Amino acid sequence: MIINFDNSATTFPKPLSVKKAVISAMEKYGSSGRGGHYIASETSKAVFSARETVADFFDAKPENVVFTLNCTHALNFAIQGIMKNGGHMIISGMEHNSSARPATKLASDKKISLSIAQVYPEDARTIESFRNLIRSDTKAIVCTIASNVTGQILPYHEIAELCRKNNICFIADGAQACGTLDIKMSDGINILCTAGHKGLYGITGTGLLISDEKYKINPIIQGGTGNLSQSLTQPDLLPESLESGTVGVIGIISVKAGIEFVRSMGINRIFRHEEKICQKFISELKKNKDVTIYRSPSAEYVPIVSFNVDGIKSETVAQILAKKGYCLRAGFHCSALAHSQLGTSSGTVRFSPSIFSCEADAIRLANEINRIDKNKL
Amino acid sequence: MTEYTAEMPSYTYAMKAEKLLKARGIRCEIKRREEGCGYNICLYNKTSFEILRKNGIPFKLKEMEES
Repeated sequence: MIINFDNSATTFPKPLSVKKAVISAMEKYGSSGRGGHYIASETSKAVFSARETVADFFDAKPENVVFTLNCTHALNFAIQGIMKNGGHMIISGMEHNSSARPATKLASDKKISLSIAQVYPEDARTIESFRNLIRSDTKAIVCTIASNVTGQILPYHEIAELCRKNNICFIADGAQACGTLDIKMSDGINILCTAGHKGLYGITGTGLLISDEKYKINPIIQGGTGNLSQSLTQPDLLPESLESGTVGVIGIISVKAGIEFVRSMGINRIFRHEEKICQKFISELKKNKDVTIYRSPSAEYVPIVSFNVDGIKSETVAQILAKKGYCLRAGFHCSALAHSQLGTSSGTVRFSPSIFSCEADAIRLANEINRIDKNKL
Repeated sequence: MTEYTAEMPSYTYAMKAEKLLKARGIRCEIKRREEGCGYNICLYNKTSFEILRKNGIPFKLKEMEES
């Protein structure tokens, strides 16, 4: 039996309603926003309806919802699009490589200057570290709402307020937060980037960029948008300005169905269910003095638990558990900065449940971990 | 009946305009533009354009047709 506790990467399984929506979309839809015939019209209507669902969920306007291939694409659009003309940018020390790499590339090419704000378990210290880095030419702050390594929730409301007061664009990475925290654009976010295939229960190959319109995002790719085709200049209105090429209609429909599923379950209920499993998992692991859990009582977390078994590499632990049918992600989780801050030189093992996970499986998994004997490896 | 046509900057805005107007009981229709790859909103009451303006929907009033 396979038991997935790697839902931070991609939720699995998907709700039945998502599966049905995907199959139905494959049978009905073609290209969106191109042509005026029956299939094109029906597809365009369905995609617009998905935009409305996303907009309603995040308190945005449908025309400011951009469908992307994943959160990484969305973050690249946002970071490179906002920083096109240079300036100073701050990212948190907990950023995923999807933010950290484009930011570092821009900085190493001397196109921008970059600062990294240290993240602490205590929100006040984290906010202070952002505040201290703000300069007169700071254009953007990129901050994950929740770390994909530890699940720590960063003080995004306060960072948003810092940005507002200093006229800085706040780009939030919601990949690990959307679906378990009630994230809204009215939280002060200027550009929200997130995945469709994680907590929103869509299929892989889906992501979202949502703007509040305050900051213009220069397109980093150009191409066919289905409108103004006689012009060689990229249209500058969202969402088409950032949606060159045919959008992933099937995936978009899956995200709509996924959001409707999340809505029907209730975000708070999903959070409580998953966090209860995390707490049970932690309490079982705490019986083992050889296990280190990367959570602090000073911080708040989304339902993710990172841990290590002392003296055993994280990848080895994950392999042992994989042989017993448990799916957990080990290593560095595409987050060099976060592991550097944590001082986890061989990474961690990450446990992340979904709404479909159950406590009994988490207890069995913890028992398996507690049975690992480093002397027998 | 006089038909008023507004060129919409994209299908997304055409859809948004159509929903807005239909929610107010105003008859309108999205039509593929005859030239230039785009979408128009056709309606029959000139004052309806004010609704689009007030809701920040960009459009270009194109022509009036007797039909």
